[in-house]
Amino acid sequence: MAEPILKVRNLAVGYPTPAGMLQPVKGVSFDIDAREVVGLVGDAGSGKSTTALALLGLARAPGKIMGGSVKFDGRNLLTLPDEDIRAIRGRDIGIIVQNPRAALNPMLKVGRQIGNAYAAHNGGSASDARAQAIEMLRMVGINDPERRVDTFAHELSGGMAQRALIAMALSSRPRLLIADEPTSGLDVTIQAQFLDQMWQTVQMTGSAILLVTQELGVIANYCDRVLVLHEGRIVEDAPVRQFFAAPRHPYSQDVLRLYREKGSDYPAQVASGAPVLMQAKGLTKNFPIRHSSKVVHAVDQVALTIRKGEAVGLVGESGSGKTTVGRCLVRLVDPTDGTILFGGTDLSRLSNAAMRGYRSRVQIVFQDPFDSVNPRWTIAQILDEPLRLHSTDDAAARRKRAAEVLALVNLPEALLDRKPKGLGAGALQRINIARALILRPDFMVLDEPTSVLAPRARNALIALLARLQAELGISFLFISHDLTTVRFLCQRVAVMYLGQIVEEGSVEQVFSAPQHPYSRALLSAHLFPDPTHRRVDHPEAAALQGEIPSPIDLPKGCYLASRCGFANDACRSTPQVLTQQDGRAVRCHRVVAGEI
Amino acid sequence: MLLKYVLRRLSIGLVQLLGLTISVFFLIRLLPADPVSRLVGMNASKEAYAQAQAQLGLDRPVLTQLSIYLGFQPDVSPGLLQGSLGVSWVTGSQVTAEIASYLPVTLELVTLSFLFAFAVAVPVGMLSALRPGGRADKGVFLYSLFAGSQPEFWWGLLFVYVFFFKLGIAPAPLGRLSPMTTPPPPMTGFILIDTLLAGQPKKFFEAAHHLMLPVLNLTFVLSGPIIKMVRQNMLRALQSDFVLYANSIGLPRKVVARYALRAAMAPSMTLIGILYGFMLSGAVLVETVFSLGGIGQYAVRSVLAFDYPAIQGVVLIITAISLVVYLLLDLIHAAIDPRIAY
Repeated sequence: MAEPILKVRNLAVGYPTPAGMLQPVKGVSFDIDAREVVGLVGDAGSGKSTTALALLGLARAPGKIMGGSVKFDGRNLLTLPDEDIRAIRGRDIGIIVQNPRAALNPMLKVGRQIGNAYAAHNGGSASDARAQAIEMLRMVGINDPERRVDTFAHELSGGMAQRALIAMALSSRPRLLIADEPTSGLDVTIQAQFLDQMWQTVQMTGSAILLVTQELGVIANYCDRVLVLHEGRIVEDAPVRQFFAAPRHPYSQDVLRLYREKGSDYPAQVASGAPVLMQAKGLTKNFPIRHSSKVVHAVDQVALTIRKGEAVGLVGESGSGKTTVGRCLVRLVDPTDGTILFGGTDLSRLSNAAMRGYRSRVQIVFQDPFDSVNPRWTIAQILDEPLRLHSTDDAAARRKRAAEVLALVNLPEALLDRKPKGLGAGALQRINIARALILRPDFMVLDEPTSVLAPRARNALIALLARLQAELGISFLFISHDLTTVRFLCQRVAVMYLGQIVEEGSVEQVFSAPQHPYSRALLSAHLFPDPTHRRVDHPEAAALQGEIPSPIDLPKGCYLASRCGFANDACRSTPQVLTQQDGRAVRCHRVVAGEI
Repeated sequence: MLLKYVLRRLSIGLVQLLGLTISVFFLIRLLPADPVSRLVGMNASKEAYAQAQAQLGLDRPVLTQLSIYLGFQPDVSPGLLQGSLGVSWVTGSQVTAEIASYLPVTLELVTLSFLFAFAVAVPVGMLSALRPGGRADKGVFLYSLFAGSQPEFWWGLLFVYVFFFKLGIAPAPLGRLSPMTTPPPPMTGFILIDTLLAGQPKKFFEAAHHLMLPVLNLTFVLSGPIIKMVRQNMLRALQSDFVLYANSIGLPRKVVARYALRAAMAPSMTLIGILYGFMLSGAVLVETVFSLGGIGQYAVRSVLAFDYPAIQGVVLIITAISLVVYLLLDLIHAAIDPRIAY
């Protein structure tokens, strides 16, 4: 076998803290072969990003590389003089990072930045650099590169900025590309497009990739080999199929448990006679635009029915109006039109005072667990607040109830007197759920509750929610762009696009045979953690073109027509209606007519 | 686009100036003061008092006074619309002419001090940000603490003591030129420019020599906050993701430093604008120490004498200059940072 291009031995990185040196990376060793795609997974805080940077001899201030070696081409990068290592960075090893818009210089045109990166390693004139920048932008799949080369970072969408970054990283055709969570924050459709593009580009340039990610779906679909980083050490190093089939380390087993246990089962449906708890009809929300008579059509005539004990998933790209629907249902946002029937009462017509009586019965959990709690309060105070407002219990009884709900979400009572500082995202999200549960609600909106969680915390949260649903009979509206989570948790699912529901049905119906072209694209772009059906092995055709239109000037006919491969003239001119059929609904006349 | 923005800003500025003029007009009249008896003395006869009052126009209703000041009754006396700020009640000369002779002194002093402070502060601030906690950084900390914690006139007196009295390298703090020298014919009011225009290089050097200490004094005091701010912004820029990324793709040190400096300069502009506006009237103590008759001294004199037209004139002019400076800095900021949209 050929010599690996990268050999890492006992790499350690430390951060000085008042309590002494903290070591997030404690001695990492691994190899990467030429042209190999290696995945690096691990929890938040396991040291993945720190490791990725340390491979280039860098550490985010005030961190320091404490020891070990990184051999590339037989040279130890950690002991090279500054000038030599700068020559290797970017030329032989390229890197792309999370949050591309922050990584791009906000004050320089992207073309200049790509040109600077190219010129730093290849020399040449300014016009060479510019030509190279255009060439690279075209290679990473950006339309109209001659125009984009003169844009600034803030003028690019997240996906576009990520491509600009990869154009910069690959401009000198490095032999190794380090991709640190390159798709975090991107929509699934864009994520798949981007990863496909990156994979193809790297195949063309013959580079190896180290792909750092929290998404098992990304690992399963793109990687040849998996490294598992846990508490600053590599605890597992296995080929991808072996990793999914027979994980060895307890941490890996934990991460994969959900997929291995649930396998191909879908959650059981609630009894057909179960009473309807929450029903929205014709729900519409427009947001006015300042200095303009136009409005943002955030939600358009949405109908949803949620039975007692049922979890309904609401999926779609960012900007499709999912969050607004959730907020309307609990009246955090007043709908422009429509009714919200909750146990026979129309919440949308209630005055704020009358609504207060219902606040204890409908609850919401937000996406960011850190922003949802007051960092200066103890957990006991956080949990106590709803009780103080809604119950007549004395302090002792309220504290007892707080301890009860903590137990319900599997957290120790000892947390009550601590503050949120120092708790992980997973634990904090449980506290948010406990706070929502403390008033014994009938209905909860969960707005992307798992999106900032690491895989293990995410799995645990899904298991917790399934248990709460079964034991307490609570109904959920589960808003998420993570289809894997929806698949394991929800009975029914509604797919939203540009404020409308385009398809609705049981999870099994929609996931096993999506009908609407948008649902098809969404599902085909979703990366299920299954290495036996790798996306790179059979390229998918159902991809959508372009980006989501503006919700201000909506198209006249079908909203998807401009991006849909099936669209004909009728689609472009006639508005589509949601049509019911065999217990599911779809908004596409061609599907209803059986044409596609 | 740019022209439209500048025009919009200028027209907003005009409205602000008008609002300010009107409110200052009424605010001064709320003072529990009687400018007439101040002029004629406490023991003046009723007739003399009434005559003085009529002369100042204070016998007219307040709204009529305002409309005269604004220039709607040019037949009585010229007002703002005619480009006149009125006549000083103390000296009897045009306020515009008086300001024209006092203002350049201050502008010259403050602008020069800012240029020097900036030239010193940017490299020092950068140096201190490059090695936080290093020797340069500690020196900067000590200096900002030291320079900022003492009033500027105290530093002025100290400088006079050391450089004039002890070392003898600075001239006596007795104005812009030595009392024996005839000043050049005033053309712009800026003495450095006027001496050159008059073709008197000797006097130019003399004026520069006289400006040396006051400028050093202000520079010394101003550099503290500017260094601190440059250091802060530079630190933030150096720790930003895009500088880390620039390092991680192997850009040369020089290019990375340029990225960071540009990011640090943009937000610094705002503070400089605020400081400049503040120093126009805030330099009065330094001007007093060095016997420079600047706008600050003129303002103090006018307030003490209840010279309403002069007070109003000073407020109006200083505000107008501040507005223009803010506009200029916003334009510079936008030129540095493309995210700023007009």
